[in-house]
Amino acid sequence: MALAAAALAGLLSAGLGASHRDKQMTASTGLGGLRASPTPALRIGRPQRLSSGRYVSRWTVVRRPTLAHARPSVRSAAVAELATSAPEGTPNLLTVLRARPGADRRLWVEVRLPTLPNGSVGWVPRQSLGPYQAVETHLVVDRTRLRASLYRAGRMVFSAPVGVGTDAWPTPAGEFTVRSQLTRYASPFYGPIAFGTTARSAVLTDWPDGGFVGIHGTNAPELLPGHVSHGCIRLRNGDLLRLARVMPIGTPVTIR
Amino acid sequence: MSTESFDRFLTAVDRDGALAETRARAETTTRRGLLGWTLAGAGTLVLARTADARAAGLSASDVDILNYALVLEYLQSSFYTEAERSGALTGKTATAARVVGATERAHVKAFLDLLKSQAVKRPTFDFQGTTEQQRPFLKTAVALEDLAVAAYKGQAPKLKSNAVLAAAVGIHSVEARHAAWMRALFGITPAVNAFDKPASRSSVNGIVTSTHFIVAKPKMRGRGKPSFTG
Repeated sequence: MALAAAALAGLLSAGLGASHRDKQMTASTGLGGLRASPTPALRIGRPQRLSSGRYVSRWTVVRRPTLAHARPSVRSAAVAELATSAPEGTPNLLTVLRARPGADRRLWVEVRLPTLPNGSVGWVPRQSLGPYQAVETHLVVDRTRLRASLYRAGRMVFSAPVGVGTDAWPTPAGEFTVRSQLTRYASPFYGPIAFGTTARSAVLTDWPDGGFVGIHGTNAPELLPGHVSHGCIRLRNGDLLRLARVMPIGTPVTIR
Repeated sequence: MSTESFDRFLTAVDRDGALAETRARAETTTRRGLLGWTLAGAGTLVLARTADARAAGLSASDVDILNYALVLEYLQSSFYTEAERSGALTGKTATAARVVGATERAHVKAFLDLLKSQAVKRPTFDFQGTTEQQRPFLKTAVALEDLAVAAYKGQAPKLKSNAVLAAAVGIHSVEARHAAWMRALFGITPAVNAFDKPASRSSVNGIVTSTHFIVAKPKMRGRGKPSFTG
C-alpha cells in the first residue's frame, strides 16, 4: 500500500511540474502535498485499571442531621441520632459499608455508627450524606503485643510501640475509623497531634463529649509500651509524627 | 449532537428540571474567568487562574482549554471509579463502567503528565447515589459522555497548537464511542443525527454546576483541644 501511494504521489508531482520543495514534501509524507499529522501533545497510555478493591475502605460525612435506622426504612427502629459535627468540631465521619434501595425507593446506606455499644451499624438515607472518599490504608492496634501497624494496600508501611488502656480503663476492641486530626492545641499531654476515632470507652461513659478514644502523643514516653492510658492509644511524639505523614483521615482501625 | 437532541436528552436525564433550567440561564451568562466554575455557599469552588502558563511550550489559552478539559476528565473518571467500587453494577453495564473508567483514568494521567504544576487539582465530587444504582448510573453516564463530546467540540477550534488539537481530536472520538456505548446500554439510539453541534463553555459550566456534583472538600482537621479519654 505504501509503495503504491508513493508511486501515485510521484506520478502526480511529475505530472504537475512539482517544485523541488514539493518533491521533498512528497518524499517525506508519501502522499502528494499533504503535511504529516503532528504528534499529539498528550500521550494517552494504557487504560488505568483499579486495584482489586480488597483494601479499599470508603467514608463519608453527615451532610444533614439524620436518624440511623436498624433497617433501610423509616418504619424500622431508630438506633442513633447523627449530627453533622463530631464533638471535636470536625464533620461527622462515617464508614460506608453498603447501599441498597429501601421500601420507599430511596437509596439507603449502611454505615458504622460512632455509638455505644461499639460495633453498631445503622442505615441512613443517601441524601443525608456527603461525598464519598476512599482510602487503601488500615491501622491495626495489637493490645497484647502493644504495637500499632499501618498497612497500605496490604503492605506494612509503619509500625511503632504504643500505650493502651489499663485493666480499669481498657481500650475497646473492634472495628473503628480515624475521623479527625487535631493540631495546634498546646497540650503536652496529648502531644503535637491527636487523631480522633469512632471508638468509645465502654466504662468512661460519662466522660466529656462521650468518652471517645484518640490516637495521640505523650509527655511521658518512658511509659511506652505499656497498659498506661484511660483507653486512648498513645505513641511517642516522633512515631506519631511519622504516622501522621502516612495515615489519611478515614483510615479504618482494627483494635484487637 | 444537535441542540435539539441535546435538549431532548437533558429532558430524559434531568431529575428535577434543574439541568434544563440552568442551561437556559447559562446561555446568557458571560464568561467568568479561566474556567468559570463557581458554586454557592459551602460548595464554593473557584478554580484559580493559571498564571504564567508555559507548560511544555504551550500558549496560556491552550493551557486554559486543557485544564477545562481536565476537570471534565476528573468528573468522568471519578464517576466511573466510584461506580466500580460501589459494586452495584451488574452485567454489561459493569463491564462498560470498568472499561470506560480505565480509559478516563488514562486520560487524566495524560493531562497531568503534560500540564504538570499547571494542572488544576481534582475537585471533590458528590455523585449523590448515581453511582450506586444501575439505572441512575446509566442515565448519568449518558449525560456526562454526551456533555464531554460537545465540550471538546466546542473548544477544539480555539486551540492554537496543532499538537494539542491532534490530541483533542483523538480523545473526542473516544468520548463519542463511550457516549454511544452508554446510550445503547441505556436503551436509546446511539447516533441520532448526521451532525453534532458543539456546546459553549458557559453552557457546559452551567450544566455541570446544576448537577451539584462538585462540592467543597470536607475539612477533617481541627484546632480544638482534644477531649479524648487520654
